[in-house]
Amino acid sequence: MSTLRLLTVGTLLHVKQISRSPFEIAIALVVPVVQATLAVYLFRSSGEQHRLLEAAVGAGVMGVWSSVLFGSGGAIQGQRWQGTLEMIMLAPRRPVLVVLPITIATGLTGTYALLATLVWGRLLYGIRLDFAHPAAFVVAAVVCVVALGMFGLLLAATFVLMRNANALANTLEYPVWLVSGMLVPITVLPAWTTPIAAVLPTTWGARALREATSGGPVWPSLGICLGISLLCLVLGGFALTHVERRARAAATLALA
Amino acid sequence: MSGAYLPGPAASPTPFPFRARAALTPSPVPPPHRSPEKGPGMKTLRLMTVGGVIAYRALFNWTTPGMFIGTLLVGPLFQLLFFAYLGRQLQVADDRFYIVGNAVLTASLACVFGGTMAVANERRYGTLGHVLLSPRSRTAVFWGRVLPYAGNGLLIAVVTLTAGALLLGLRIPVSALPGLLLVMAAGSLACGFFGLTLGALGLRFRDVWVISNVSVALLLLLTGVNVPASGLPGWMVAVGEWLPITHAAEAARRLAAGDGLAAAAGPLGQELLVGAGYAVAAAALLKIFEFESRRTASLDVL
Repeated sequence: MSTLRLLTVGTLLHVKQISRSPFEIAIALVVPVVQATLAVYLFRSSGEQHRLLEAAVGAGVMGVWSSVLFGSGGAIQGQRWQGTLEMIMLAPRRPVLVVLPITIATGLTGTYALLATLVWGRLLYGIRLDFAHPAAFVVAAVVCVVALGMFGLLLAATFVLMRNANALANTLEYPVWLVSGMLVPITVLPAWTTPIAAVLPTTWGARALREATSGGPVWPSLGICLGISLLCLVLGGFALTHVERRARAAATLALA
Repeated sequence: MSGAYLPGPAASPTPFPFRARAALTPSPVPPPHRSPEKGPGMKTLRLMTVGGVIAYRALFNWTTPGMFIGTLLVGPLFQLLFFAYLGRQLQVADDRFYIVGNAVLTASLACVFGGTMAVANERRYGTLGHVLLSPRSRTAVFWGRVLPYAGNGLLIAVVTLTAGALLLGLRIPVSALPGLLLVMAAGSLACGFFGLTLGALGLRFRDVWVISNVSVALLLLLTGVNVPASGLPGWMVAVGEWLPITHAAEAARRLAAGDGLAAAAGPLGQELLVGAGYAVAAAALLKIFEFESRRTASLDVL
């Protein structure tokens, strides 16, 4: 119970903190809406009017990924710049339990993007929110956000080892959008991208949301997404413990 | 998206200055070397080019190899691939439309963020006051800063076009290459002045990074690089006409189609006009905001 409380309170704290940043909110709301508009006009131009809801959802998931990528990737670096990393690492709990709420919070603030693209599509382009499985869509969205938060933990633990982690974050945005099939179906990509797509939780999360939107078996995709993310959580936990011990031994915790 | 600024260690006083020891062994003093007096035009040109390069090295956060390659070369290439594959799937336009258009657009990343950093980072690092105290023309100082970013943007566009064409199998006539280089240079320059205009807003607004991030996203939509003008509403097309890249992308597509420089001259001229317009707008905004900052003593207020 105390672990659950730690995760819940920690997540709420970090969601509140991120939500106080005009920069984070503006980027989470405006950029996905621009991308959704682009997707809507592209799908309209190709005569795929019936797929506009799918396009809006896809653009929203792209926003969630951007939020997790930049938020989680810079989670530890952000704490370091604020001067709070030492205090976090001094907490009498495992590092994974203290950092996981930060990465889940970035996924949760990413849902602004998903909501913004759906509201934008409904109000401006009259896209009817006719989900094939409405209840499954809500469950899939929640699971997808939590799963991406776990994936974010692995990113956070990995990025902290790299001096130019934000360069990698800038690099990874479009490849994951592309390979995960958020807007572009995986079938049109070269065959060598298929194994990469298969191990990314973003692929299965986006697929679950797409199936909940346009019809299809939602739960298998969602299960795989959750399974891969739990694996990422375990790997991220080990990586974080390793990084923490190394930083303590070398006295480099507060150094970039 | 901006990189980290890591201040170096404070300089320690040197107990035995090299100059003092050298003074113990006097040597014949060579006659002073007088350089020929430079005219005001040459001085301004030197201020713009040398000052621009120094400012680029000091203020552009993405010059480390990792940041440069990851953010400015690999990221834009994947942007091109993303839209090229999306275009293939939706069959809105052919590969040439997406590859050439997106390659020209990729220059905007360095130029828009660079232009913003050129002004906003001066304030962030506490050096803006020193620049504004300079007895030289601030317009020349800031216009000069655009040049390295435009060069950087041109490099990115060339690399992205080359890699994109090789990966996706687009054939471009060799005779079109000089024209393409010219068009991409014009687009980069226009984008640089557009970035400087946004950077000028950094003298007025607290968080200019929101403006630059949103502007880069809007360029994707409004320049017609990814959606043909016929598929966009009239007002978006009209706004796009006043933005950099729109006309450069059009000119580049004509050249890549083998239409020749004469066919691309119209859009190329329009792109240069747009760039000149943003250069004037940036200079005017910088003057106004500098005056206001002095008047309200808010120069370094973040």
